[in-house]
Amino acid sequence: MAQKPKVDPHVGRLGYLQALVTEFQETESQDAKEQVLANLANFAYDPSNYQYLRQLQVLDLFLDSLSEENETLVEFAIGGLCNLCSDRANKEHILQTGGVPLIINCLSSPNEETVLSAVTTIMYLSSPGPGSHPELTATPVVQCMLRFSLSANTRLRNLAQVFLEDFCSPSQVAEARRRPAHSALGIPLPRTEAPQQP
Amino acid sequence: MASGGGELGGLFDHHVQRAACDTRAKYREGRRPRAVRVYTINLESRYLLIQGVPAVGAMKELVERFALYGAIEQYNALDEYPAEEFTEVYLIKFMNLQSARIAKRKMDEQSFFGGLLHVCYAPEFETVEETRKKLQERKAYIARATKNKDYFMTKKKLVTEYKDTKDFRQDFHSKKSGFCEAALNTSAGNSDPCLPYSCELPLCYFSSTCMCSSGEYENRASSSSQYGRNRDETVGHCNHSDSLQKVQMKTLKTPVACPGAQKAFTPSEAVDRFMPRTTQLQERKRRREDDRKLGPFLETSTSSNEVLIGPLLPDIPKVDMHDDSLNTTANLIRNKLKEVITTVPKPPEDKLEDVHTSHPLKQRRRI
Repeated sequence: MAQKPKVDPHVGRLGYLQALVTEFQETESQDAKEQVLANLANFAYDPSNYQYLRQLQVLDLFLDSLSEENETLVEFAIGGLCNLCSDRANKEHILQTGGVPLIINCLSSPNEETVLSAVTTIMYLSSPGPGSHPELTATPVVQCMLRFSLSANTRLRNLAQVFLEDFCSPSQVAEARRRPAHSALGIPLPRTEAPQQP
Repeated sequence: MASGGGELGGLFDHHVQRAACDTRAKYREGRRPRAVRVYTINLESRYLLIQGVPAVGAMKELVERFALYGAIEQYNALDEYPAEEFTEVYLIKFMNLQSARIAKRKMDEQSFFGGLLHVCYAPEFETVEETRKKLQERKAYIARATKNKDYFMTKKKLVTEYKDTKDFRQDFHSKKSGFCEAALNTSAGNSDPCLPYSCELPLCYFSSTCMCSSGEYENRASSSSQYGRNRDETVGHCNHSDSLQKVQMKTLKTPVACPGAQKAFTPSEAVDRFMPRTTQLQERKRRREDDRKLGPFLETSTSSNEVLIGPLLPDIPKVDMHDDSLNTTANLIRNKLKEVITTVPKPPEDKLEDVHTSHPLKQRRRI
């Protein structure tokens, strides 16, 4: 894992996570918030922490942070979600608490990592094959992915292609191509690359 | 690729080494200074980019060094990649992601032929198929890890059914629940979660989660070696944070139940109530006297008696608590007991009483 925090031997893993959550909620420093959120997001990489994270409602914390103005917080929050959303229990929680629209919104972020994490999260939330959760393969999303699949950004292109091939039916893709792209307006490509011609 | 231009540090944002964070609160400072960064499966890759390699024709040595962490599928120099003067940039592709992760962690910021290496992931070199595989493997890994947890939890339930002390633990647990409310789910009020322990599972999380009881727990752990043969199955194994990865969630509840288990007496005893320590010691003293009277016949009878409590003379079972300090403590106690036990037959009969009284005194000295 990327970050290995030093655990005070008198505080267990749960206690440490609790302290992080508390600090996040109480601190006014943006730097501290970013650090703590990154720490939590990295913890979300390890399945052995999932029980604790659910217990401490860190999933909701991540979802709430998606609406923050600070782009870095959004990036870390969606990263955390991406790390833990393929677990069944976490996935159900996210789907049931209405997290999908928030995640889809992240597709329009100018931050490259945010978009990548959002695409991956959407893939993990869908089961393979179309029709599992309709919002995730709605036309605007598919149209967005079509544009991403033409991107010069290799990582984005690869992810979008996997999405289109594995999580959309051919008819959904055809429909998305056919329909005018009004619904996909406002989902620009991420900042790190040159503007695309439509 | 044109967007990056020729900036040093990399063509891509994720190749650039970020400054280490120095404003972290003390309690969450790591062992090494680290930048603030989130690693997701997207960022990680079997491809590693190595910058800062001194241009001294040491490609072979570089690859050999990295190969320590896992099999390498291919490697090549990236001549067109922007690099500092007199340094080269290499791309190494590992056979599996885990090797790449370890290699990155170990080799980043390491010195090599006088230069400092900067190692980062290079997912942009992946093909679509490799990306797809990567995501699938991650998903499978999580499914496996979560399934294992479920398996352990059902296994624990099975073990519970064999033990009659379930009720006892429930009561004991409810007394202790005050300490651990934050840590335990409300469902812990049921008998099942209050679980015992099959011997192959690491039992105890830290006693730290139940901070009030931590002192008590230590004592009980060290006194566990005095208990009889069947106690092997219920002795607390205390693991520290390094093995937390393997410790299941339910073990959070075990620190509470551990002390309870160690107090589990025979069913004929007052199983349903919590026995204070002094009573326990007096019980032990009484039994010891009884045992001594029984003499050599004790050993043969214990094998058929499943629930003997009290020091099993002369053979005290060795228990490995998976922790060096606890093992040391346990060994010290064991040795001390051996000493004490062997000196007992020596004094003449008329001194027997004194020994009886002195024995418990020695026993009572808890660590």
